[in-house]
Amino acid sequence: MATIDVRSVRKKFGKLVALDDVSFSVNDGEFFCLLGPSGAGKTTTLKSIAGLVQPDSGEVWLAGQDAGDIEPNHRNLAMCFESYALYPQHNVFDNMASPLRSPVLRLPDDQVRERVGRTAEMLGVAHLLDRGVDQLSNGQRQRVALGRVLVRPANAYLLDEPLSHLDAKLRTSMRAELKRIAHGDLMTTTVYVTHDYVEALSLADRIGVIKEGRILQVGTPQQVWDTPETAFVAQAFGKPRISFVSGGLVSDNGTIRFISSDGAITVPVPHVEAAAGEPVRIGIRPRDLTLYTGAGPQPAGHERLDGVVYVLEHLGRQTEVTVRIGESLVSVVAPRNDVGGLTVDDKVSLLLDPARVHVFGDSDSDDGRRLSR
Amino acid sequence: MGPTTETTTEPMAGPATSAPAPAKQPPTSGSTANQRKAQRGSATGLLANLALVLYFAFSLLPVLFIVALSLKTNAEQTTTYLWFTPTLENYQTVLGLGDGGSSYVRFFLASLATSTGAVLVSLLIGIPAAYAAARYRFKGSEDLMFTLLSFRFAPELVVIIPLGVIYQQIGLYDTIFGMVWVLQLVTMPLVVWILRSFFQDLPAELEEAALLDGYTRSQAFLKIVLPLVRPGIAAVCLLAFIFAWNNFIFPFTLTSGDAQTVTVSSLAFLGGNQVRFNLVAAGAVMAVLPPLVLALCIQRYLVRGLSFGAVKG
Ligand SMILES: Nc1ncnc2c1ncn2[C@@H]1O[C@H](COP(=O)(O)OP(=O)(O)O)[C@@H](O)[C@H]1O
Ligand SMILES: [Mg+2]
Repeated sequence: MATIDVRSVRKKFGKLVALDDVSFSVNDGEFFCLLGPSGAGKTTTLKSIAGLVQPDSGEVWLAGQDAGDIEPNHRNLAMCFESYALYPQHNVFDNMASPLRSPVLRLPDDQVRERVGRTAEMLGVAHLLDRGVDQLSNGQRQRVALGRVLVRPANAYLLDEPLSHLDAKLRTSMRAELKRIAHGDLMTTTVYVTHDYVEALSLADRIGVIKEGRILQVGTPQQVWDTPETAFVAQAFGKPRISFVSGGLVSDNGTIRFISSDGAITVPVPHVEAAAGEPVRIGIRPRDLTLYTGAGPQPAGHERLDGVVYVLEHLGRQTEVTVRIGESLVSVVAPRNDVGGLTVDDKVSLLLDPARVHVFGDSDSDDGRRLSR
Repeated sequence: MGPTTETTTEPMAGPATSAPAPAKQPPTSGSTANQRKAQRGSATGLLANLALVLYFAFSLLPVLFIVALSLKTNAEQTTTYLWFTPTLENYQTVLGLGDGGSSYVRFFLASLATSTGAVLVSLLIGIPAAYAAARYRFKGSEDLMFTLLSFRFAPELVVIIPLGVIYQQIGLYDTIFGMVWVLQLVTMPLVVWILRSFFQDLPAELEEAALLDGYTRSQAFLKIVLPLVRPGIAAVCLLAFIFAWNNFIFPFTLTSGDAQTVTVSSLAFLGGNQVRFNLVAAGAVMAVLPPLVLALCIQRYLVRGLSFGAVKG
């Protein structure tokens, strides 16, 4: 068990900047998720921690010690590779036993059998132990690769998209299993790379959001959800995605209001760190809006936005309604019953709690920095 | 609202989408067409096989001819027909079993020693070199590889005179050691270039995984990487051995007796007062055996190995 400190790590591959001043630290026993789109530098970050990639500058500290001079085989880290990296000449058992038989651990045979058996059981690959790697499906390979990590004690686990090739049902159950292991008695420090925000939200103690080699925000699931630091972070979480509306801020009797570019949407944005006149965009999560059908009184403290139905998309018990307000499109998720007989071009109203509006800068150079609060 | 799993909205599982299997075609209309197709298929197959057999015969003819020649008497040695009374006399003469006396066995052993030695040295140095060339890029690494390859396509005639002088001066002339050394010019580029492509085909993450499992770099290489390139090593072994065995110009210029090889010694049968093609043939037939035996021994790996660059785990 150990802490991991990544300090200002930069890495270039030729001209391409893969990591641009990446810093974050992972506490002892913490489950840290690195979330980002493909090509963001997640794998490179993980390999820098493992010592497989030499940073151009910056340092990686493990357990309070500069790991710069420690060879990968002496870092006592276990890594699950995105490509599985299973040894093709070995069967499943020998693959999973490999770290236990290495000079670092060199466990006796009965312990190896016991540990491999237990881990294989847990991952549902116990019946495959005698198979060759080439006789496995991708999902099975991925579980074996994960098994080669979980089978051993380590300072930290580095998991590179370990569930990406499992089918939806298995992924959900494995996620629960991982959560149980991660938060169980062992509490091994874990860095978990994923591009799936649901995985990150459900597993992580803290999440680091990475994009184009830069860490945009590090925080608890609650923090990244409630107060996303940039527009990119806001849209990385939640499905349907957060809706953005571009416009500007105006001062109205001392309160600051947002007005969309075409003037069709106007909302008060009380807690904003920006002056009137600044171009901004607001973000509204589809589940922070309610569809107002006109029945019953309009709840106090809510703003009402009027528009027409643009697209209806049924999501099982709920329906995503995309509403056109002026020139902007805003999504709302409503219970199926409330949507009732709505069809495209029907007039609808949306109710919005202004406290739930996120305000971001409208320039792309800073990824739309958060201006609320 | 907090980040709960409520935020996922997966579409409800729809009804099973697999369409019912299309109704079977009535068997009559389809099967005749299939039969015709099969007939046409087997007809072209037959032609292809015939062509292969012809080509096989064509390429084996020289072998047959040499074997036949090695069994002919002096009187018949310039004839081309295959009907004659075979005799083992030539083999006896070449091996020195008759009265003539011959050093063929010694030359043969010298060939075996130099070729085997050359291949072993090339493997010992070439395998790590090929691995390094595949994994570590540095400034000038490509130039280095190219220089190595240039040994292969520079004509050997260019270097034999200085080599001959140097070998005479430092005492390597007509020694097995000297031959093993000079044959590196032939075998080393082959080993390094072919094995490099095998190593390049293996994902580096295999070694990285082994490192993280706790193995040292050399253990990762020996335990994980090396077993995976066995087919390549087998193929390159055979190729290098054949090239070394067949080499003529180096033993011709750098040996005179002790380290002389079969390729050169066969010349002796062509000189003198009578040209003895049948003896050359007998020597050649026996000289083919070592590469042949080697090929048979490592046959298991050869098919995969000779199609190099196409290996995947
Ligand atoms: N060995 C490498 N050589 C060249 N470019 C690389 C290498 N590894 C990664 N990259 C590049 O660096 C960027 C980040 O890659 P990676 O860390 O694998 O992203 P992610 O895992 O987030 O998808 C990508 O643009 C990728 O193409
Ligand atoms: Mg990756």
